Amino acid sequence: MSDLLNMELLDEDKDAQKGRYMTFKSGNEYFAIGIQYVDEIIQFQKITVVPETADYIKGLINIRGKIVPVIDVSLRFKQPPFEYNERTCIIVINVKSTVVGLIVERIAEVVTIEEENILPPPSLGRTDKDSNKFVYGIGKVGDSVKLMLDPDKLLHDEDVNAVDQASTYTEAEE
Amino acid sequence: MSEEFNTEGMLDMYLLENGQLLESLQETVLNQKDAECFDEDAINEIFRTMHTIKGSSGIMMFDNVTKIAHKLEDIFYYLRESKPDNVPHLELVSYVLDVADFISAEMDKIRDGNEPDGDPTKMIGKLDDFLKQIKHEITKDDKKELPPENVYVAPNQFYIAPVSSNESRFYQIIITFRPDTQMSNIRAYSAVYALKEIAEDMIYYPEDIVSNENSAEIILRHGFRMLLQAQASQEEIRPMIDTCADIEKIDIREVTSDGFLNSDFLKPIEIDLDSPIEEVERKAAETEQEEEPNKKAKDVAPGDYVIQSKEPGKAKQLNKNKPAKASKQSFISVNVEKMDELMDLIGELVIAEAVVLQNPDLKVPGLELQNFQKAARQLSKISADLQDVIMSMRMMPLTTTFQKMNRIVFDASRKLEKDIELEVIGENTEVDKNIIEHISDPLMHLIRNAVDHGIETPAERAAAGKRDKGKVTLLAKNEGGKVWITVQDNGAGMDRSKILKKARKNGLLGNKNPETMTDKEVYQFITYPGFSTNETVTEFSGRGVGMDVVVKNIQTIGGTLDIDSIPGEGSTMTMKIPLTLAIIDGIVMETAGSYFVVETGIVKSFVNAREDMMIHEPDGEEYIMIREECYPVIRLGEYFSLTNEKIAVEDGMMVLIELEEKTICILVDKLLGEQEIVVKPIPQYIKKVRGLSGCTQLGDGSIALILDPASLIG
Repeated sequence: MSDLLNMELLDEDKDAQKGRYMTFKSGNEYFAIGIQYVDEIIQFQKITVVPETADYIKGLINIRGKIVPVIDVSLRFKQPPFEYNERTCIIVINVKSTVVGLIVERIAEVVTIEEENILPPPSLGRTDKDSNKFVYGIGKVGDSVKLMLDPDKLLHDEDVNAVDQASTYTEAEE
Repeated sequence: MSEEFNTEGMLDMYLLENGQLLESLQETVLNQKDAECFDEDAINEIFRTMHTIKGSSGIMMFDNVTKIAHKLEDIFYYLRESKPDNVPHLELVSYVLDVADFISAEMDKIRDGNEPDGDPTKMIGKLDDFLKQIKHEITKDDKKELPPENVYVAPNQFYIAPVSSNESRFYQIIITFRPDTQMSNIRAYSAVYALKEIAEDMIYYPEDIVSNENSAEIILRHGFRMLLQAQASQEEIRPMIDTCADIEKIDIREVTSDGFLNSDFLKPIEIDLDSPIEEVERKAAETEQEEEPNKKAKDVAPGDYVIQSKEPGKAKQLNKNKPAKASKQSFISVNVEKMDELMDLIGELVIAEAVVLQNPDLKVPGLELQNFQKAARQLSKISADLQDVIMSMRMMPLTTTFQKMNRIVFDASRKLEKDIELEVIGENTEVDKNIIEHISDPLMHLIRNAVDHGIETPAERAAAGKRDKGKVTLLAKNEGGKVWITVQDNGAGMDRSKILKKARKNGLLGNKNPETMTDKEVYQFITYPGFSTNETVTEFSGRGVGMDVVVKNIQTIGGTLDIDSIPGEGSTMTMKIPLTLAIIDGIVMETAGSYFVVETGIVKSFVNAREDMMIHEPDGEEYIMIREECYPVIRLGEYFSLTNEKIAVEDGMMVLIELEEKTICILVDKLLGEQEIVVKPIPQYIKKVRGLSGCTQLGDGSIALILDPASLIG
């Protein structure tokens, strides 16, 4: 069901959002995420730690009454952690009805990347194996290069099965 | 004649309506199960219900349901018209319930997208026998009231002059459809089509049934009239026409060939169109005059679909009653998600309101804010009302849940051959919808236990000198912010020594001294897994999987179960459950920089502990001695791996929580206060964390985690 909903949303905004990507810096690389996934960008706020979760899941934040989990993108990419300050931002994304906040080191700009400028990722690249699986392509914008993020994989890939089960469960409930 | 219907919607409607009908049917039946027989209203209601179900199932082409509903309708039709005495009431009740069960089961199959393939043949056979039986009894008692039994096959043969065969016979046929029949013209045409096979000559009115849509209305109003010349007998013709459930009545009369030709039978309608119903009735009465003497005989015949043959006008009224009733109780069903969304929004509104009203900009010294304060008070009042309304929208009375129990007591007491009545008190008590879903199963268990283990057999009761009936009382009330649901029986009560013996056998006693245990402690044993004192496993209970599951289910919604019993006088089980899962009273605590909430109800006390009260085990476990009692200690910060630092117990605060007779101590850094909190689930993205049941938002917008005491203790 959530798939369907998402598809509809995609259809609706397709024209305006096609090829537009939100980019941010993490470590030394720039990453790009499809703008249709981005709900909003908020300032850093106090995070409530949830015990016994993966290290990259930093906890919960309260966005106008909605309780949203946040993850640290650099920890997710196995990059060295960075210090949060008041200029740190949280990108709130919505992937198949799962709302998650991404803590990123620095937000860059919104760019347009044409499809023909997106190349498949190098199979033997400089990037290590772990971060490679979130990246489905390399996008060229002028001289610079952005790593294209697959948001679905970003949120869940280690535990694809568990999450799939959970989502089928909720669907059945509905 | 475009016909665009959404079958999906029709199916939903069908399932919803029939579900409601069956529910109220069961209620009616069970209300009168102890009476001598059904009263007139009940008979009428059951009859109408079956008629409606038959009709709608016919449209949806669920033949099995149609057939069985039809059969039951026959029985009640007979009951209504001939009012026989000596109907074995209990048997009848169980037949009605069986049919209701069968239809419910079929509807479940339909709902799940399966074919409704249940076979009603056997049950129909039983119902047939039953019908014959009650008819037969009457024949014995009072011959005048019932015609000989062969009427069953050929209801009308009494008022037909026998004619010599091998000749064409002439018939006047009037088919009356139910007033709410759709496309009666098409249905009428199917009758014409069916008769074409045997008809030597046939005229009908209205003539243009296929091409003229308005003919449907004429047919509904005056019936579909046919003149038929055929060699077939009445008995042969009737089933050919009688093919659809919407036919209310088929009137076949044999006439002479003269009558056939000269009859103005086909044209009485012109007079009728504008005349009042009474006149139509009078005319109908006139034409039917010759039938009068045999009226009774005709009415009792099954297979006749007459609803109100004596007063044609009344049938319409009967049917008109229904929509009117439906519009009275104007309910709409709303998606729960939307309700939750509304609730979130109201929560946000409350927070936004606090931000505005306590805005630092307002705190300028010497600022006159009289008008602002007035408006602010109005705003606060409205938002408080809003909160109340949204909460009340989630509340539902326990009525339906309790009604189900009625059925369980009835079934179980009959199978166990115990005479048990169920008394229900306070069924209008309202509880959050989520909670209702959770208490149905445990309640069913408790009721079954009471019926099976609690109430003795009639022989045992007589031996114990108990003269009153076995009785199970189901009581609900609001008490101290919780709902108490009590299941009480006046049976034998629990046997302390039996329970202790069993507990010892299963090794549950441990090193406790049975002599010093209170009765309540002993009774708690029955909530242990695998415990059942009933020697024989019955259909209803005795496998010992009951009570521990019951307790677990109650705990998941934050409730508790109290067990009490007086030997010889019965047992009392009391579920104490929160009114709502959405808002709880909680104590907010802080530890290692995180906020936690524990439900106020289970907090026994707060203790400022000293180091000399602590007992340290070599493996790192800690205990605390408070007033001669020893409790295990959980350092919350370490439990959740939030910190490695061991704080001195003097700097922290011990919170004693008690659940199901077990007490533990939780060590936190400090207490922040008590407040009402809105419970929200932890986002699914974060998998379930042991020891936490949800999260909430505190007044300042920060998030607190709600402790799950059951998993902390367990």
